[in-house]
Amino acid sequence: MHNCKDAKEQLTELLLDGNSGAEEVLDHCVECRAELEALAATLRMTTRLRETAMPSESYWTSYHEQLRERLTESFHAKAQRLRHATAQRKEFKPGLGFLFAFLRKPLRLCVKTFLWRVPVPLGVALFAVGFVFALFAIRIARTQPVQPPVVIHVPVEVPVVQEKTVTRVVYRDRQRPLKSAKRSVVVPTVQNTFAQFKPTDEVKLTVIKGGSLNEK
Amino acid sequence: MIVSESDSDLIRRAQAEDIDAFCLLAERYARRIHLLASHYCRNLQDAEDLSQEVWLKVYQALGSFRFDSSFYTWLRRITINTFLNHRRASFFRRQGQTTAVQLVQIDSETPEKFFESQSSSPENIYNKLLFENVVSALAELTPSQRLSFLLRHYEGMSYEEIASAMNCSTGTVKKGVWRAIGKLRARLAPDTEEPEGLTSLANEY
Repeated sequence: MHNCKDAKEQLTELLLDGNSGAEEVLDHCVECRAELEALAATLRMTTRLRETAMPSESYWTSYHEQLRERLTESFHAKAQRLRHATAQRKEFKPGLGFLFAFLRKPLRLCVKTFLWRVPVPLGVALFAVGFVFALFAIRIARTQPVQPPVVIHVPVEVPVVQEKTVTRVVYRDRQRPLKSAKRSVVVPTVQNTFAQFKPTDEVKLTVIKGGSLNEK
Repeated sequence: MIVSESDSDLIRRAQAEDIDAFCLLAERYARRIHLLASHYCRNLQDAEDLSQEVWLKVYQALGSFRFDSSFYTWLRRITINTFLNHRRASFFRRQGQTTAVQLVQIDSETPEKFFESQSSSPENIYNKLLFENVVSALAELTPSQRLSFLLRHYEGMSYEEIASAMNCSTGTVKKGVWRAIGKLRARLAPDTEEPEGLTSLANEY
């Protein structure tokens, strides 16, 4: 089944690859043939442009001269960088002089950017003082012992419901049993009871803690 | 009798900081690179700058060439990278400009600079007309479409090679090439039956 959209893609590929086997793809389709001719004409134009539009020889002479100049510049710049790096490596002498040379650039920049002009030795001295101060500050911050957390004791009153149960031992005469259960609870007469009364050593107290004020 | 040196000999000499050897090497491939650059850029000055930038990059990177592939393959890879970087740089440069200004940037002297013969023969006139038309049609493509089309059509690279060089998928490259051809076809051959059109002139020559 011929599909014009697929055929167009295939024709483009065939044209780019050399235009072989286009008839099979066309499959007698008039629209696709017109498309093929238009595409072929377009690609022919660009191919022709590639073949003909080439600058003249005089252009190429100046082009290569310019390129040579730029390459020579690039070569010299590269060589200069290398020489500079080698020289810096040779000049490297560890010590105060090196330190000063190391600090010269940032200090000069500082002096240039600041409104107040500061002499270089004074600048170095100020920088050194600042540096030492910062160093000490860091050191002190590091060496300070870690304080334990402060514990504050606050007494808090906890409401405790207190219940006091007092058990009293009551003695009664065995020979005269009570007639009813109700009478047994009744305290005996003063004569009988107090004659044989012995105060007890036991006092039972029950304290209930943890209750709230509203607890019943 | 002058025996031309092989690419490998010239590369080895150029790697040993021999500028003459490098210039000889550049002369061999400069036209191909320049052709790509001139069709990728919108004017000759940009194309010249871009192609020379390619050669400067090649010179700086020549020490890393290990003869694993052909010199032209390696050179083409650097060219594509330079083109893509140029695209990004020009995008940031021209971000404030309007599209209309970007499209109409074809140097009026460019066709004259490109043709050796200044005669008014029909063929020469046709070539100049063709140049103006094709370059302005190419200028209407997006940079990636233009580059994909040039690499596929002029350089004969496969879609896989282009995708690898441009760091994108094969499908993207295919779509780019098809769209580019479609746009060029609409611009250059809108009506194949037109007698005075460029298509009929192309068929004559």
